[in-house]
Amino acid sequence: MKNKIDYHLEDPTWCRGCGLFALFSAFKKAAESLKIPPEQLVIVTGIGCHGRLNNYFRCYGFHALHGRALPVATGVKLVNPRLIVVGISGDGDAYSIGLGHLLHAMKRNVNLTYVVVNNLIFALTQGQTSPTSREGFVSISHPYGSPEYPLDGPRLALAAGAAFIARGFSGEPGHLLSLIKKAIQHKGFSLLEVLSPCVTHNKVITYQWLKENIELIDQDSSYDPKNIQSAWDRTAGGEKIPVGLIYCQKKSSFEFLVDQDENRPLVSEDFKVKREELEKIMDGFE
Amino acid sequence: MRTITDISVMIAGRAGDGVLFTGNVLAKILKKEGWEIVTYRDFPSNIRGEATNYTIRASQRKIYGRSDSIDVLLAFDCDAIIRHLPSLAEGSIILCEGADLARYVTPADKGIVYHQFPIKQLAREWFGSEIFKNMIVLGALCHIMDLETTIVHEIIRDAFLERKGANIVKKNLQAVKLGCEQAEKIVEPEEKHSLEKRISSKKLLISGDEAIAIGALAAGCRFFAAYPICPASEIWQWLAKVFPRYNGLVVQTEDEIAAINMALGASYAGARAMTSTSGPGASLMMEGFSLAGMTEIPLVIVHVQRVGPSTGLPTKSEQADLNMWVYGAQGDFPRIVLSPGTVEECFTFTIKAFNLAEKYQLPVVLLTEQDYGQNLRTTERFSLSKIKVDRGKLLTQDELLKIDEYKRYRYTRDGISPRALPSMINGLHMVESNEHNEKGYREEDSRNRNRMMEKRMIKLRTARKELIAPRLWGESEAETGIIGFGSTFGPIQEAMDQLRGRGLKTKYLQIRTLWPFPTQEVEEFITGCRRVFVVENNYSGQLSSLIKGQVIGCPEIKPILNYSSQTFRPREITAEIEKGT
Repeated sequence: MKNKIDYHLEDPTWCRGCGLFALFSAFKKAAESLKIPPEQLVIVTGIGCHGRLNNYFRCYGFHALHGRALPVATGVKLVNPRLIVVGISGDGDAYSIGLGHLLHAMKRNVNLTYVVVNNLIFALTQGQTSPTSREGFVSISHPYGSPEYPLDGPRLALAAGAAFIARGFSGEPGHLLSLIKKAIQHKGFSLLEVLSPCVTHNKVITYQWLKENIELIDQDSSYDPKNIQSAWDRTAGGEKIPVGLIYCQKKSSFEFLVDQDENRPLVSEDFKVKREELEKIMDGFE
Repeated sequence: MRTITDISVMIAGRAGDGVLFTGNVLAKILKKEGWEIVTYRDFPSNIRGEATNYTIRASQRKIYGRSDSIDVLLAFDCDAIIRHLPSLAEGSIILCEGADLARYVTPADKGIVYHQFPIKQLAREWFGSEIFKNMIVLGALCHIMDLETTIVHEIIRDAFLERKGANIVKKNLQAVKLGCEQAEKIVEPEEKHSLEKRISSKKLLISGDEAIAIGALAAGCRFFAAYPICPASEIWQWLAKVFPRYNGLVVQTEDEIAAINMALGASYAGARAMTSTSGPGASLMMEGFSLAGMTEIPLVIVHVQRVGPSTGLPTKSEQADLNMWVYGAQGDFPRIVLSPGTVEECFTFTIKAFNLAEKYQLPVVLLTEQDYGQNLRTTERFSLSKIKVDRGKLLTQDELLKIDEYKRYRYTRDGISPRALPSMINGLHMVESNEHNEKGYREEDSRNRNRMMEKRMIKLRTARKELIAPRLWGESEAETGIIGFGSTFGPIQEAMDQLRGRGLKTKYLQIRTLWPFPTQEVEEFITGCRRVFVVENNYSGQLSSLIKGQVIGCPEIKPILNYSSQTFRPREITAEIEKGT
C-alpha cells in the first residue's frame, strides 16, 4: 500500500462553492501524484481570497504583500533550485498591482509555476472591478458600469515570451489537475490561469456562464500548442474563452543560463571567503 | 621654491570629455607617489554636453574631504573658469583650452596664473583625434606637479594593454609626453606646483560603494537584487563581476519593489541577501522594508543618498533620507540604521549589518551618501582578522529534529525565535505578512497581537549591547561640540583641524547607529558641551530633530545646514562655529 502524503492542514473557510476549493483539491492531488515532499514545496501567495490557501496547505508557505508573490518566489527558487516553488495570485494580484512583476517573471523565465486564480473581480475587498472584469461590469467601485476593457493574461504572456501558458477552469477539476501537473513539470516559468467563479460577489461570471462560454482546446485535435500562431489566433477574442494548454515550448531557464547548479544550490555555500582571496581583491585597489 | 603639502587639482569640462577617467588616473598616480587622496566629483546627470568637474586633492597628512580651494585648474572651456574662480587659491595656475578668458576675468589680482593651452587642437594635430586630449592633460599635469611619468606609463599599460593593444598604449604614452613638453613651453618654472617625492604607499584608493561591495562578499552575501540607480550602481557593478566566482547571483529586477521582495525571498530560503538603492528607489522599497520587519527575515539594504526630493539631483550628495529609514513604512517594526563615516567603516559596517540582520532577524539599513559612495579616498587596507559570519539562531537540521513542535515565531525572552529554512524536515511553517501566531499563521486575536508586537520590538533592546556606538573625536575638554553622521565626517574633521590651528578646541560626536538612537551617549555629549552644533547636508535638520525627539530636555543645538547639492567646504563649518562661539 502506498503511503499517502499529507498536504491537508486545515479545512478551508472560503465561501461555499468558491472556485478555490477545486484548486486546493487539485493542487494536493498534483503534489501527491508528483510525489513532492511537503518540505520541498514552497507556495508563495499574494493578497486576496486565494492567499488563505497557505493556511490550509501543509508545506512551506509565504503569504507575501499584495502583488509581490512573484519576486519573493523568484528569490526562493534562485538560491535553492531544488525546491518546487509555486506562486499563487488572484487577478488583482497578478494582472493589476503585480503586473510588472508578472511580465518580467515571464521574460526572466525562472523555473516557477504561477497560478492566477481569476474570478474577474476583487473579492476580498468586497467586490470591486478587477483588471479582468468585462467592459460595462457593474460593481461597488463602478456602479454605472466599468468604462475599461479587460486584460487577457494568457495573451499578455504570449507577448512577454512565456514558454508555458495554460488556462484551467475550476468547474473542470480533472482537467485542472492535469494542467497543474504539466505546469509544475515544465522547465521554466509556467503561467496557469484558473477561471474560478466568486459565488458571493460576482453574479455575472458564474459556473453556468463559464460552462457556456469556454471551449476546451485540448479536445480540438487540430490545435497545436507548440505553434505560437495558433495560440495567437485562438486567444484573439473569439466567441469562446479558450481553456487548456494554450502554448508550450522548450526554452532555456534563467537558472540554466546563469549556470546555477541544482546539485550545489547557493544556500548550501559556507559563505566564507578565504583571507588570501580578500587580500588579492584589495591588491587590485592599491 | 615653495613646499607643497596639500594640493587640489580640478579638471573641468563637459560630460563626455573624459574628465572622470583623467581624474581617476591622476588620483592613482598621486596615490602611488605616496600622497593621501580624496576625490570629489561634481557631475551632472547627463552623458554628454553639460558642465562637469572632478577635483583630486592630495595631501601629505591624513585628509577627509575636499579643501577650501583649488590650486590647479585644467579646463576644457572658459565657462568652468568663470564658475570656479571664487574657489581658486592665491598663486594657483589655470590651463585652459579656450583663448578668451581675459575678457571675463582678471585673475592676476589674486596672483592666479593663466595659460591658454590648446588641448583638443594638439590632439587633433598630433594624433588625428581629440580622444587623446585626456592624455595630453595628464602629461601637462605631470609637468606642473613634477610627477614621475614612469608611474603614468604603468597605469596606462594596465588600463589599455589588454583591452586595446600595444599600439594604443604607445600612442597614449606619446600623448602624455607631448602634454608634458607643451606645458614645459608655456609654464614658467616658478609657476609650477612641484610635489616632492614620497615613498610609494600600500594604501587602497577606493570608493565607499566598492568598500561596501567587498564587505558584502566578505560577509557571505551571495544574492543581490537591484534596479539601476545613481549613485548606488557601483556596488552592483563590482558584485556582478565578482559573484560568479563564488556561486553568487546578481539579478537586475524590473523595479525596486521586486528587488527588495526578491532579496527577502532569497534570505528566507537561507542565503545572505542584499539590495541597494537611492532616492526614489528607496521610496518604492518601503512596503517591502515593513514586510521584512513583520516576517522577521534578515535583510541588508544599502541606501546611497542622492539629492531629493523627487528625482532631485541624481549624481550629487545629500543626507535628507534619514527620516525615511528611521520613521518610514507602514506600522511599527524593529529596524537598525547604520551610518558609516569613512570608507573603512563602509566595509566593516556592511559585515556588521549582515550579522545584525541575521542575528536579530530584521532589516538593517546601511545609509551612506553619494560623496562616500562614488568618490575615491586613500584608506588603510581593511583588517580581515575580525571578520566573522554569525548566523544567529539559524537551526541546523539536527537541532530542528530535536524540537517537539517547531514554532517559527516562538515567544522568547530576547524576542529572537530559532529559524528553520525551507527544505528542512520538521520545520514546516508559514511566513505571513498579516499578523500571525507563533507558528506563523494568521491570527487576529488582540492578546496575540500584543505579544507578537512586543516580541518583535524587544529584539532592538536585545541588540542594543552590540550596536555600533557613537565615536568621540577631538579634545574631550573642549566646550564646543559638533554632532554629525555619515559623510559630514570629512568636512567636520577638516574644520576641526582648521579651528585647532586657530586656537579653538572642539570635540565631535560621530553618530554611527542612527536607529536605535544612542540616546545616552548623545545626552552625555551634549551635557558636556557649552554649545553644540549639528552639521548635516539637508534643509530641515533631520538629525537635529531626531536628537531633540530622543534626548529629553535637550538644550539648544545649532544646526549648520547645507542643501546646496555640494558637500560642505570646511570653511562653511568653521565660519558658523566661530560666529557662534
